[in-house]
Amino acid sequence: MDNLTLLSPFTLDDYVVTVELPLRKQGGSPDSATVLRYGAYVGSVVLVYPSLGRAMDTAREHISSREESGRSVANGSVILASSLSLSKGRFCRSWYAPPGGLWGCLILADTFLAPFRNFLPLIPGIACCEALQQFGASEAAIRWVNDVLIQGRKQAGFLIEGFRSPVYGEQYHLLGFGLNLNNSTFPPELQETAISLTQVLGHSIDTVSFGLSFLAKMRYYIGLLLYEEERWLARGGGETYEEEHPILKRWKELSDTLGKRVLFGYDVMENPQYEAVVHGVTTDGGLILQHDDGSTSVENSGEVRYCRE
Amino acid sequence: MSDEIDFDEILGKYHSDPYEYVDIFASHTGKVRFLVEEGSSIEAVSGEWKHIPGTALFEITRERNPKKVTALTNGVVSSLCSEHEGCFVEAGEKLMTIRHPLKKKEIIESILKEVLFIFHAPERAKYFFSLDVQSRIEKKSAREVSIKPGDEIIIMSLMKRDTPVYYSGEKGVIHSVYFTPGVSVDQGAPLIGVCPADKLPLIKKIITRVKADWDKKE
Repeated sequence: MDNLTLLSPFTLDDYVVTVELPLRKQGGSPDSATVLRYGAYVGSVVLVYPSLGRAMDTAREHISSREESGRSVANGSVILASSLSLSKGRFCRSWYAPPGGLWGCLILADTFLAPFRNFLPLIPGIACCEALQQFGASEAAIRWVNDVLIQGRKQAGFLIEGFRSPVYGEQYHLLGFGLNLNNSTFPPELQETAISLTQVLGHSIDTVSFGLSFLAKMRYYIGLLLYEEERWLARGGGETYEEEHPILKRWKELSDTLGKRVLFGYDVMENPQYEAVVHGVTTDGGLILQHDDGSTSVENSGEVRYCRE
Repeated sequence: MSDEIDFDEILGKYHSDPYEYVDIFASHTGKVRFLVEEGSSIEAVSGEWKHIPGTALFEITRERNPKKVTALTNGVVSSLCSEHEGCFVEAGEKLMTIRHPLKKKEIIESILKEVLFIFHAPERAKYFFSLDVQSRIEKKSAREVSIKPGDEIIIMSLMKRDTPVYYSGEKGVIHSVYFTPGVSVDQGAPLIGVCPADKLPLIKKIITRVKADWDKKE
């Protein structure tokens, strides 16, 4: 079994310098060293547990206990567990997190400006998709907002919950992640819809190496969010960000949602609302849906499932 | 909120002019071409998902990118700033006013919004009550649920990011709920109206009086 304790801030720093930065430079990414420096706080602390109930709950307890002892939590702290016993997705949906996957939570202090916060949920999907492609799963794609699918099945899921710390009242984003890697069996209700990387590749992978790749890419894209904020402010800022954000551009390249006929709903499994064709995305990541009568509407919250034509 | 309300004055105002006047502004800078005239009837946005646009009001062109702006409310164009026809206007320039006829329910809501403490949506997003508040509403009713500043009352859901929203305002009971869970709410739109518990009889009196008065008129 993989020893997640090998995934530390030091190994992550080393990975970023020796692997991620050269990859970014090779890809022609401008200012990639600066961008990675902006995101360097991601993974500055890594806490590894053999098992937990729910990583998001542990993150809340961690923030609270730090503050109650008169200290503050390190921004960018990552909580990892080899397995989770009480994991769940949105709306209390089941999420199976046995040993073999990458399960955890990233704690981010809410230092993002309002027009940029919307791009945060796009980042884990992009980072995961890029890491999967790096490990050989070239068909990995993102379904709006950030589900990662391979062969139409969910390989990874993410959710972000806000949290206000009890002592200092600081706002945090708790970014929960669940990536099916070496775990290859699923409970009956997930067998048709879930998939793991090992099922795709036909062999097991090193969870620590994959975790380093995923967190390094999280570091890059969160750095990019902050980097773009600074450039936008230097140009005068404003109430909205009207250009195409490089994060949204990258999301479009990795997503297979555009052009698809979808079933939309706030909770699409329990309460599907309507079918429409995805016409595009707005500059803040909202989904533009074209209805059968030709009219369009924009959804900034909710989820989609692809319809079989 | 005052304990005394001059019902005759408030109701007299709505009897003599039962309309809401909605000003329409240029959404951004650009050259304006009006698509309606003064006196034109206007249809509101409609459809189960609010996906059928209302009457096209004007077209605004910036950098060869024409954008039609449609009505969100029904009514009649009561005044049109026709001097802007074909001209370049700045964002926020007033272009016309729509006279929207108020229904009894809208009048009650309008009066209540003047007397309740209104808690507004911080961003355009979907909203739902926090688990604690939701379970209290299910056990009793919203009007039995009291809240105070600092309470986590609502969850804002935006791009699969769920953020707790903390109440800031007068302590009281949730009298009016203006949002539907799972339906997008615009930034600044009212989410809930809160009434101090001891003012509830006054609110009931307003509703009863408006209903009775309006029914008599109709």
